[in-house]
Amino acid sequence: MRRAGRHWLVLQVALSGSLLLLFLLPLVALFTYAPPSRIWAAAENVQVQQAIWLTLYASGIAVLAAALFAIPFGYLLARRRFRGRAVVESVVALPVVVPHLLVGLGLFLLLLPGAPLGRLTTYLGIPIYDTIWGVVLVMVFVSAPYTVLASDLSFRAIDDRVLESARSLGAGPATAFLTVTLPLALRGIVAGLLLTWARAVSEIGGILILAAVVYPGGPYSGPVTSTISVYVYNLFQQGDLTDDAAVSSVFLLLAFVIFLAVRLGERSGWLPWRRGELEP
Amino acid sequence: MTTWTVEGMESTLDEFRLGPVDLELRPGQTVAVLGSSGAGKTTLLRTLAGFLPLTAGWIRRDGQEISDLPPERRGLGYVPQGLGLFPHRTVERNVSYALEVRGRTDARARSRALLERFGLGDLAARYPARLSGGERQRVALARALAADPEVVVWDEPWQALDVEARHALGEVLDDLRSTERIPVVLVTHDPALAFSTAEEFLVLRKGRVVLAGDAARLLDHPPDAFVARFVGFENVYDPAALAGGASGSLVAWLRERSGPDGVAFGRPTLSALPGEGPWSGTVSSVRPTPEGLSVALRVDGLTVMLRPEAGSSMGRPALGARIAFSVEEKSLHALGSPVLDGRGKA
Repeated sequence: MRRAGRHWLVLQVALSGSLLLLFLLPLVALFTYAPPSRIWAAAENVQVQQAIWLTLYASGIAVLAAALFAIPFGYLLARRRFRGRAVVESVVALPVVVPHLLVGLGLFLLLLPGAPLGRLTTYLGIPIYDTIWGVVLVMVFVSAPYTVLASDLSFRAIDDRVLESARSLGAGPATAFLTVTLPLALRGIVAGLLLTWARAVSEIGGILILAAVVYPGGPYSGPVTSTISVYVYNLFQQGDLTDDAAVSSVFLLLAFVIFLAVRLGERSGWLPWRRGELEP
Repeated sequence: MTTWTVEGMESTLDEFRLGPVDLELRPGQTVAVLGSSGAGKTTLLRTLAGFLPLTAGWIRRDGQEISDLPPERRGLGYVPQGLGLFPHRTVERNVSYALEVRGRTDARARSRALLERFGLGDLAARYPARLSGGERQRVALARALAADPEVVVWDEPWQALDVEARHALGEVLDDLRSTERIPVVLVTHDPALAFSTAEEFLVLRKGRVVLAGDAARLLDHPPDAFVARFVGFENVYDPAALAGGASGSLVAWLRERSGPDGVAFGRPTLSALPGEGPWSGTVSSVRPTPEGLSVALRVDGLTVMLRPEAGSSMGRPALGARIAFSVEEKSLHALGSPVLDGRGKA
């Protein structure tokens, strides 16, 4: 029995370790390809900083939009019974599986000056092509499903009896949602938002078609630039592998620090959504 | 002090129908709701608490109808099965929740007082996941009482508690009844809790009331096999167990006296070995119990539980020995009383 348990543990470690290696090796290749001095130089490069800033700014707006639209959507899917729910759930998952160049093309066609959405954005004075709105639109399209799905699962996992307790204790539906449902679902929702953010910053296919170059306009008043994914892609197209690896390393480090900060914040109890699981 | 009156209350949950149920909750009264799984006990509590709409009948508070009030305005303390504690709030903030949502400025002081009263003062900063079963029960009750409810409904108070925790919780319930005079409706599968705390009993079967009354009525007229076992009848036989059996056998004798749901009787006592009586069986097990030996006999394919009379000289029967016994006809209860109309009337 003990030997079987050890074998099972070895198998788990071997499988998990293999996957972890797969995650790590390409990153190690990136970090080791460019010397530290080039990575430092990339970090100090103004154009790189502008691309990173645009990426963080646009992805931040995309995450806010996901929170605004996708969390209520997830709640609706989790808590309401309605006809055609399976169809709606499939449509929500669609952006995850559709090749993102197709997404860009679809949005491009939809926003043509003669198309209904194109006419609407022109009428509202919101330019999409080659603006931050184009970047945000693509990012929301490809990444919001993660928040919808995570919210759906998180709301579904809450015991109805906890919510009924809140109601019987005097909380109306809105108060119960804000004081019990949302805090309990928050951990899963935050995980979904993190995935949304990660997916948004890594998007390239749709952005290449809709906003490969971003000009000032709308909420963005910075210089002409592109998202970091497009910036790295352009360097690769130029055959500048060392600079490409250096810029990628800078952005990877930044993303890693953001993820690590959230995880440490959760574990320390500074971020609220895991407090019930922690001591005391 | 208010009195809640429930009259002809009906509700539905998917395909399940509850009712009609009639109930009066007077100050200081405890009502135990009994019934097998799926009988509708939790549905009854959820309907009282306002989570399921009434499809017929009404609920009145001192004569004023409250059937349509949402849960948050009923003034009812609901402790669901599993307790429904808020895992993301500390013990103190669980207890103060009802006061916080009402914007009460004394939330902290009142919740501290409740914590002290329930012996939870030292646990105020803990989260529910770090509490024992008994502590969690006390937190749930303290939380339900924080906003001074008019009625407390509690689904399975003793679930998963050890003997000591049950005893402590029983004392809390007694205190609630005698000092606060709050009517309590309990759902329980525990005869000890039911008989030690409740004056009134409501027995449900498939959503319908099959018995409403006090303990004596429950003991004298067990309406079905579930209640018969609940009140302590060890010899309970359904119609399938009584099929067959030669003329003159115990099975045939019981079948003639059976109701639609079977028949039940208590443990006959044995005065001496070899015993006397028209029936006899083979000893299949003998086990000690707090009340003395419990002897199982196999008779005509049935298992009959017997108990040697206190002070009898018969000693411990050997496995496989044959023992004769009799069953008093007046101790038999035909099971399967007609379904009542909620007022305890057929």
